[in-house]
Amino acid sequence: MITGELSERAARNGGPDAFALVTRERSLMLRFAAGRATQSTEIDDVTVDIAIPFHGHVGRASTNEVDDAALADCAERARLAARAAETAGGEGRFPGFGASDREAAAADAFDAATAELDPEQGGAALVEAFETAAKHGVEAHGIWTVAEQEQGWATAGEGAAERRSDAFMKVICIAPNGRSGYAASSSVAVGDISAPELAESAARKALAAGDQAELPPGEYPVVFESHAVGWLCDLLAGCAFNGLAHAEGRGALDGRLGEQVAASRINLEDVPAHPDTLPRSFDAEGMRKAPLSLIQGGVAQAVAHDLRSAALAGNGAVTTGHALAPGGHASGPYPTNLVLAGGGAADEAELCAPVERGIYVTRLWYANVVRPKETLITAVTRDGTFLIEDGRVTRPLRDLRLTDSVLGILSRTEALSREQRLASDGEFYGRRFAYGVVCPGLRANGVRFTGGAG
Amino acid sequence: MDTARARAGYADARFVRSRVERLSTRNGRLDQLDSDESEGIGVRVRVGGAWGFAAVRGTGRADAEAALARALTIAEAQPAVPDAAPLAPEPVARGEWSSSFERDPFEVPLEEKLAVLLAADAGLRTEPGVNLTRARFSAFQTEKIFASTEGAVYEQRVTECGGGIAAVAVEDADSQIRSYPASHGGHVAEAGYEHFLDLELPGHAPRVASEAVALLSAPACPHGRTTLVLCGEQLGLQVHESVGHAVELDRVLGREASYAGTSFVPADGIGSLRFGSDRINVTADATNPGGLGTYRWDDEGVEGRPVPIVRDGVLAGFLSSRETASEIGLDRSGGCMRADGFVRQPIVRMTNVNLEPGDAGSLADLIADTGDGVLIETNRSWSIDNRRLHFQFEGEAAWEIRGGERGRMLRNPSYAGLTPEFWGSCDAICSPAEWRLISLLDCGKGEPGQVMRVSHGCAPARFRDVEVGVA
Repeated sequence: MITGELSERAARNGGPDAFALVTRERSLMLRFAAGRATQSTEIDDVTVDIAIPFHGHVGRASTNEVDDAALADCAERARLAARAAETAGGEGRFPGFGASDREAAAADAFDAATAELDPEQGGAALVEAFETAAKHGVEAHGIWTVAEQEQGWATAGEGAAERRSDAFMKVICIAPNGRSGYAASSSVAVGDISAPELAESAARKALAAGDQAELPPGEYPVVFESHAVGWLCDLLAGCAFNGLAHAEGRGALDGRLGEQVAASRINLEDVPAHPDTLPRSFDAEGMRKAPLSLIQGGVAQAVAHDLRSAALAGNGAVTTGHALAPGGHASGPYPTNLVLAGGGAADEAELCAPVERGIYVTRLWYANVVRPKETLITAVTRDGTFLIEDGRVTRPLRDLRLTDSVLGILSRTEALSREQRLASDGEFYGRRFAYGVVCPGLRANGVRFTGGAG
Repeated sequence: MDTARARAGYADARFVRSRVERLSTRNGRLDQLDSDESEGIGVRVRVGGAWGFAAVRGTGRADAEAALARALTIAEAQPAVPDAAPLAPEPVARGEWSSSFERDPFEVPLEEKLAVLLAADAGLRTEPGVNLTRARFSAFQTEKIFASTEGAVYEQRVTECGGGIAAVAVEDADSQIRSYPASHGGHVAEAGYEHFLDLELPGHAPRVASEAVALLSAPACPHGRTTLVLCGEQLGLQVHESVGHAVELDRVLGREASYAGTSFVPADGIGSLRFGSDRINVTADATNPGGLGTYRWDDEGVEGRPVPIVRDGVLAGFLSSRETASEIGLDRSGGCMRADGFVRQPIVRMTNVNLEPGDAGSLADLIADTGDGVLIETNRSWSIDNRRLHFQFEGEAAWEIRGGERGRMLRNPSYAGLTPEFWGSCDAICSPAEWRLISLLDCGKGEPGQVMRVSHGCAPARFRDVEVGVA
C-alpha cells in the first residue's frame, strides 16, 4: 500500500510533533436515468493531510502531490499556520497527537473484485436493471458504484495503514403514473449486490396497487423501513452524539447523560467492526476505533469525541476514535458506524399489524436539522409512501413532510423488526467516505407531519 | 485531443489547480487553520451517446493519456444511447480570463487575517450569555485550462474571498443562533481580501451576540397565515431552492431523479408555465461582477451570459448544458456546466440566478406599506421536496411588522409553501438600490456529490397569505 510509506514521508516532513493522514481513492460510479446510462466517473486521487500542533494550535495543510518537494511545502504551510496562530492568539487548547491509543496493525475490509473497478461489470449491472424495469413497464434510475480506498497515518514514531473497499447500488423505479419505488444495497463486496433484485424491489413499490390516498397534516403512527430509520439515527448523531457540541453546551444530551431519552427498547451504539457495517479500524487521528454505547435501554450513555473535543470537555474525557480530520473537523466528531439493535417483529408487515390507520415510509429525503438541541428535524417522504389500514399496507399515499424530534420518535417507538440492514446512500462529497447505519425497521406512534410533498 | 477524436464523438479535458484557505476562531481562540491545494486533470468523452469521465491527480502527458484511456474504456462499457441528441452548437472558446480583485487573499499575511477574526470574536463575547462564538475567513483560487476536440482552448482564473460571524446562546433546552452577514459560512464574493474587510465583522459582532441572547426570551413566531417579507440570505435561498433548482434542465428531463430529484417545471413550459406573479422576473447571469456564478466560460466551453428564466411571472428559459439544450430544441446552451474541481465532471449548475428588483422603494418603504406581517432575513434550516414544489424554511430570527413598523423580534420563525403559489403571492419587490448579491457556499448536487458556490441577486420582497410558524 502506498499510503503507509507516503504517510511516513509526510510525517517526517512535518517534524517530530506532526501527524500525517493519507487517503487514496480509486472509484468508479455509473449513473443512469430512465433506462439510459447518463454519466460515469472514475477517480484516482490522493489527499495528504499534514497537521502540526504548536502551543495548542493545529496548523493543517493538504496536497494531492506526493513528491518530497510537495510534501515539504505542505508541511511548511501547516507549520506557518500553527505559528501564526500562536503569534496572533496566544496559547491554544489542542493537546497534541502524542498521547495515543492507536492501533498498531489495522484490519482490512477489502474485496479484490470490488477494487478492480470493472466498468464492464457495472455496465452489465445497468443492463440487468434496465431489463428488469422494462419487464415491469417502469423506468430505472440510479447509480452503481465501486471503490477501493487506502488510508494510512503516521507520526514520528508510529503508523498504520489499511485498505477498504465498498460497493453500492440504488434503483429508483418510476411508473407511468409518476409513482416511484426505491431499493438500495451497500457492502464491502460488489458480489453482494444484485441489480435485478434491487430493480424488482423498486418496481414492486412503484407499481403498488390502489388509488393514491392523501392525509392532512397531523400526528400518525408510522412504520419506517430501515433506510428511513438510518436517516433518523444519522441526524440524531449530529444533534446528540457530537462531543464538541456537547462540550459547548449545544448538544441535545447536554445535562442528560444517564437519563431516559428514548423508549427502553432503543439500544444504539457505534460498532466500527460490526459484520454488516463498512468497517474502519482507526479514525482520522489514527485512534483505534472501538464499540461505543450511546443509548442503552433508552438511557443516554455517552457522546463521541476526538482529541480536540475531549480536551475541551475535560473531566477525564478521552477521544473515542471519532475524529473526521486530524486535529478535529470544524463540525466536530461523529459516529460513522451506528448500529441500532433490532427488536422482536418478524418484518415490516408485522410492524404494521397493530396499526389501524397510519403511514408506511420507505425513505426520507432532504432532511435538515431545525433545532438541534431539541433534535427537531424536517424531511419529506419519497419513493414508497403508503397508507396502512387495519394492520396492513393498502394503497399508495401522497408524500408528506415530517417535522418532529428524533428523540421524540425514539421515545414513542413501540416495536422494531428483528432483521437489521445497512442503510447507506452512496453520497460521496469530497473524498469518498462510505458509511451507513445498521438498523431495523421501526414503528413509532404520534409522528408529526406538517404538510404535503412531491 | 487527436487520440480522443479518433475514438470519441466529442471529448474535453480540464486541468484544474485549486487553493483553499479556511481560518476560524471559536470562543476567542483560533480554531481552524487549513490550507488545501490540489491539481489534476479530468477527461470527458462521449462515445455512442454515453459519457465517460476519468480524473487523475497527475498533470503530465502520460497522466492525461491514462485518464483519456480510462474515460474511453468506461464510456464504451456503458449501454449505448443510440438516440442521444447532438450537442448544441457553440462558438469555439479561446482566450484567457481572470476575475478581478484588489488584494490577493493568499498574499495577505496570516497574522493580519487572524487579527480581524480575533477582533470579531472578541466583539461577540461582549454579550454575557453567549455560549459559542465563531468568526470565519475563507478564500478560494481556481485555475483552469480547458481544451476540447472542437478546438476550444481557454485559461481561466477565479479568486473568491469572504467570511462571517456567528453567536450561539443556550438556555436549558433552547439554543439560538445569530449570524452576520449570512449563516452557513457567511458571505463570499468573487473578489479579493478587500471584500472580507468590507464586511466589517468586528463592528457587527456586538449586535449579533446581543440578538442571539435576546432570542432566548423572545416570543415564538405564531402559527397562522400572514404577510411575509423576505430579504437577504433567506430570499436568496428561496430563489435558489424553488426557482434555481427547479429550472435546471437536467432535473426537468429526469436525469437527476435518482438523487437531487426532478422538477414540477415541464420541459415544454417556456412561454406558458406561470411561475409567479407578474412582478417576478428572474435572470441567470454569469456576468454579474462579484458573483460566485460569474465566469467567462463554463466547464464545457460555453461563454457565460444573461439568460432569462422568468419574465413577468412566466417561465422564459432554463439552466442548461449543450446536451440538455439540444434535447429540447434550444439553439444554444445556457452555459451552466460547472464541475467541482478536476475530480468531477461538469453538470448543470446555477450561475447567478437573480430575482430582478421592482419598484417598492427601500426596505423601510416596503415595511411601511405592509401593515402587519413578519420579516425574515437569515436562514437556519431548509428543506424542499424532490420536485421543488413543497418547501419549508426556518430563519434564525424574525421581526414582527405592526402598523407598518418593524416591531419585536420573534424566535423560531418558519414558513412553508408551494412554489408557484408562493411566487404568485409576491406583490412587491424593493427597488434597485436594495438589490445585492448573496452567496450560498454549499450547494450540493450530482453523483458523486459536487459542492458549488453560487450567488443570487435580490431585493427584499413581500408575499401575501403565507403559512408561518409551521415547525
